[in-house]
Amino acid sequence: MILSAQRLRSIGWLALLAVCGAAVMVLSFRVNALRSQVHRAEGQIVALKQQKMYLETEFETRANQQQLKAWNDLEFGYVAPTAGQYLENERQLAALSKPADPGAPAPIRVASVDDTVIAPAAFPELAGPELSGSTQAKGLARAENGAVRKLAETHEAEPVSHGADARDADLGPGRPRALDHAQETATLAEKLGTIRPAAARKDEAHKDQAHKDQAHKDQAHKDQAHASEKTAAKKVHPAPRDERGEKRAHPAPAHAATVEKAHPKPSRESARPTKDEKKDARSGGEHKSARKAGVKTNR
Amino acid sequence: MNQLSASAVIASGRGQLATVRQRSLVTAKKRVLLVAVGFVFLTLTALVRIAQLGLFEQAPDRGSLADALLPPRGEITDRNGVALARAFPSYSLWFNPKALGAAGSPLVKTPEEVAHALVQIFPDADYKDLVARLKSGRGSYLRKRVLPEEANRVFALGEPALEFPRENQRYYPQGSLAANVLGYVDEEGKGHVGMEQVLEPRLLDPARRGEPVELSIDARAQGALEDELARGMAETEAKGAAGIVLDVDSGEVIAMASLPSFNPNRSDRAFNDLVFNRVSNQVYELGSAFKPITIASAIDAGVVTDLSVRYPATPLHIAGRTIHDSHAFGASLNVPEALIHSSNIVTAQVADKLGGPALRRTMIALGMNRRPTIELPARGFPIFPRGENNAGDWSRITTMTVSYGHGIAVTPLHLACAYAALVNGGIWRPATLFKLDPSRIPEGVRVFKASTSARLRQLLRMIVVDGTGRKADAPGFRVGGKTGSAEKSAAGGYRKTSLVATFAAAFPMDKPRYVVIAMLDEPHGTAATSGQRTAGWNAAPIVGRVVPRIGPLLGVVPDASRDVDISDLSPLIGNGDGE
Repeated sequence: MILSAQRLRSIGWLALLAVCGAAVMVLSFRVNALRSQVHRAEGQIVALKQQKMYLETEFETRANQQQLKAWNDLEFGYVAPTAGQYLENERQLAALSKPADPGAPAPIRVASVDDTVIAPAAFPELAGPELSGSTQAKGLARAENGAVRKLAETHEAEPVSHGADARDADLGPGRPRALDHAQETATLAEKLGTIRPAAARKDEAHKDQAHKDQAHKDQAHKDQAHASEKTAAKKVHPAPRDERGEKRAHPAPAHAATVEKAHPKPSRESARPTKDEKKDARSGGEHKSARKAGVKTNR
Repeated sequence: MNQLSASAVIASGRGQLATVRQRSLVTAKKRVLLVAVGFVFLTLTALVRIAQLGLFEQAPDRGSLADALLPPRGEITDRNGVALARAFPSYSLWFNPKALGAAGSPLVKTPEEVAHALVQIFPDADYKDLVARLKSGRGSYLRKRVLPEEANRVFALGEPALEFPRENQRYYPQGSLAANVLGYVDEEGKGHVGMEQVLEPRLLDPARRGEPVELSIDARAQGALEDELARGMAETEAKGAAGIVLDVDSGEVIAMASLPSFNPNRSDRAFNDLVFNRVSNQVYELGSAFKPITIASAIDAGVVTDLSVRYPATPLHIAGRTIHDSHAFGASLNVPEALIHSSNIVTAQVADKLGGPALRRTMIALGMNRRPTIELPARGFPIFPRGENNAGDWSRITTMTVSYGHGIAVTPLHLACAYAALVNGGIWRPATLFKLDPSRIPEGVRVFKASTSARLRQLLRMIVVDGTGRKADAPGFRVGGKTGSAEKSAAGGYRKTSLVATFAAAFPMDKPRYVVIAMLDEPHGTAATSGQRTAGWNAAPIVGRVVPRIGPLLGVVPDASRDVDISDLSPLIGNGDGE
């Protein structure tokens, strides 16, 4: 009995050892198997990465710049986008919907005008709670004196003074330079909508010419009604050379005469009078004075 | 007796049995001990192995993957990570005459047939050379860098003797793009000419070659510049062309092109005259493009304070020489008009008033008396007037000729750096081909006052709006710049018919970001340039076409509603329309 117990114990030990041995073996095998799997996977990764590199390089070679240029020249004919295809900010987007004033030149922001500087300079009167005569008078005084340097250095401020000059020429030397309320509003309105691509402005200039008669009817300056009626009469039966302008035309809303008059701003676009402008000038409209101001700074 | 003997036998047998039993027990115990020791040993071994496996071999050969993918030579990319040069195991076409056994013909078809088929696959191959190689019976490369599809077509010929070993070679996916900047790697794996030569230690260093080297080049801008220069060169039948796009605020070279160029993928043919870099290595008298530098120097020194002052524009007679203008522009011109019409006479007078020492100081501050500062190995040494006395002071006539870009020869890169200083607020910075971290942009040296720079921006813009550079006026990009058409010097004076036409420009002028220079070497008057040979007709249009292509890519949005304010200067220009 004792013997068998001993034997049993030794058999037990034996079995335990055998199990341990087997476990070690299994473990070794599994470890080895896993290692070889890892190795194989590693090899695959390397091969795939290399293959990726080959394909990438081949793709880059086939799509290299010279090849793309050749295709573009032959097949696609893409060109770089022009200025008119970019919108820089919300103001430009908003400006697209605003109809151009008749004969308005393309607005140019000069030097590196920072929007962060312009915005507070151009908008405070609108944002403030007191949109009253005192604020406007203050803004007017600033524009007159050129005290607001940041704004006055730009073209944004120029329409005020030039507009006044133009009116002086129109209305005689005795007239005071101060602007009335409507004119001041127009100047502000113009400030708000000055940013727009030149190309768009040119197109709209045609439109405006075609619909000048409408605008003229609304003019506040009755003393010029005679001359503008002449122009209107001409426009009603468009001359053959004005056909292009007519075709492009869409119904444009009427503009306040003051807005129309506040635009003799000198800029390159305005400096070269278009055919329509010349014609208009011949007919003796108020653009004569505008043009005068433009030519003054022409180069 | 029997009983006695039997009992004695039993007694002795018992004794023996006891002994045997004793012995057996000892033996058994010994064996058990042995087995136990064996088991303990095995167990210990197993435990040690488990510990070893568990503790030390969790990550087998971690380095192997990185090693396998580490390129033999580091990659070079542009500033946006586009590969410009990489180690690429491309196929080669190797002729192995022993592929079909030592005896008999190595080819299935005749060598002529095989050579004919190969020429159809590779049209630029030399038929006679191929036939000679196939007949020679010696193993040799028939071609290197074979495209996979070409390899497939060769494989389809069914010639076992044509093999495709993959070999690590330097490969330039963009072909000849920026070849003069990159250089090439020869058969021995040594870099030549450009950044391949400069970066050789870095590209081969095992610790760092895994990381690509980023250059400041923008492959898209480089392509556009090369396209347009090539077009300009073809239109004007010029001998060569050079161009550069430089970031004015950091000195990074965005594009640098020298045409005609070479194909670095054909390293066997790469080394020839075309590796010569006209931008950094060739010096030219760049002519009128120097005038803005003279005027800036005069404004900066306070010599020119009033731009409306008029100078006589009649030919100047100095030291037995006469300074002319290309055309007569009237009796007198002011400084803006002199720049717009490119008047040598007025510029010379301004320089005379400024004085030689001051002009010389400006030129030295702009680095015109030393090799251009760039990483490229080949950099041309300028021809800088030595001066007429021991102190190196310039005489009146030297000062005057230098003022309009004659008697001084520099590389286009010198001019680009100088223009960057002219428009960026007056700071001169060395040019670099490495992409710079914004925090590591060199401080630079102040050469001009910021106010002078602002004035020059107006003047340069006016030249493009109203003057000789009109054809560079890309709509919405506010380009400003100056033309320069200098006759090339030869033995015994200047050759009237061979010009170097340069247009040095910057954009956008309200806040300059990039300098663009286009230069044509010996352009001819053709129908495309209305028969003109001067820069306004050939180099300026190149800039006018390059700028719209690269501007939006480089973050300059065209905007027709912005410009630099030139209203204070425009009344000074008398072109018949103004005052």
